[in-house]
Amino acid sequence: MVREVSESCVESLLSEIVLSYCSGFYANKPELAARRIEAIGFQVGHQLSERYTMDRPRFTDNLEAIKFICKDFWSELFKKQIDNLKTNHRGTFVLQDNRFRWLAHMSIDPLVQASGNIQDPSAMAENKSAQATGMHLYFPCGIIRGTLSNLGIECAVSADISNLPACELITLITYNSFSYI
Amino acid sequence: MQFFGGTEISPSPPVPTASGNNGNMMYIFNRNGVCLLYREWNRPLKTLSSQQDHKLMFGLLFSLKSLTAKMDPTSAEKGNLGVPQLPGQGCSFHSFRTNTYKLSFMESPSGIKLILVTHPRTGDLRDSLKYIYNLYVEYVVKNPLYTPGTPIRSELFNKTVDQYVRGLGTELAVMLCKKPSYVCVLAD
Repeated sequence: MVREVSESCVESLLSEIVLSYCSGFYANKPELAARRIEAIGFQVGHQLSERYTMDRPRFTDNLEAIKFICKDFWSELFKKQIDNLKTNHRGTFVLQDNRFRWLAHMSIDPLVQASGNIQDPSAMAENKSAQATGMHLYFPCGIIRGTLSNLGIECAVSADISNLPACELITLITYNSFSYI
Repeated sequence: MQFFGGTEISPSPPVPTASGNNGNMMYIFNRNGVCLLYREWNRPLKTLSSQQDHKLMFGLLFSLKSLTAKMDPTSAEKGNLGVPQLPGQGCSFHSFRTNTYKLSFMESPSGIKLILVTHPRTGDLRDSLKYIYNLYVEYVVKNPLYTPGTPIRSELFNKTVDQYVRGLGTELAVMLCKKPSYVCVLAD
């Protein structure tokens, strides 16, 4: 049975999570706030992977698990697949989404962008907005980490948003249960 | 009884083009009179400083709205002053036209006022204003980096609005290039 939820509700909830953690609970400690948000994502990813891999056999190796995330998992969450997957065959995977749904409404101040690194205050403001945008990516990173962890693969996930709305999620696999087979 | 003749009797007015001597601007105000956005695509004459201009515009529309509601001959109860109404409820003013420009106006139930100033031969812009309001909801309200009540600084929003309004402008210019003819015949 497929249950549906309104997309605006999910997006409003996510932006409110980031806002309350960053300016409410951990006002001057962005690293702590980031960790908490990522932990929430981890839990969610854990549960989601349980649900979406219910009828499937076990994955044979890392690449299969990552491909599952790129295709089926991403389509369940965002109704589209990951646009580009790159790997160095030594445990690092880069998942690129050219139009990340949760970042589609975000946009930065054009004046700040134009002034660049000329004066200090404007550079600071640009960094602040980049930081604020970055905070919104801890949740998806946590989701991927939780999903892989439930499949037996420990990893670290980081995000790169050099050009909005495209988003790159970099997954570094640290331990997996397949190396002993 | 013939009322108006064709174009050979009175000279037809010059066909206005989308860019030319016709003003083309957009204002967005919130409930408290803060000007959230002012975009200008063509404005040949500027008489006031921008702050005075915004205050004047907001005051004008506030008064016009209450005036039109109070003078409504069809409804018995008049709403409270300044309270935005649901679309379709009560009497809502939507545009005025002079010989040099037309001003179209729309107010949302949350008090967001959208104003578009275009050339005088523009048709009904209510649907366009609704579309721009939808763009506002998508790119401004849903943007987590935006604080409500502050001027809008979103590149995405500015870009999409620019594209849309320019598209509107070219549509109207094409329509007006066909020569108009005024023939109004009333028979006894």
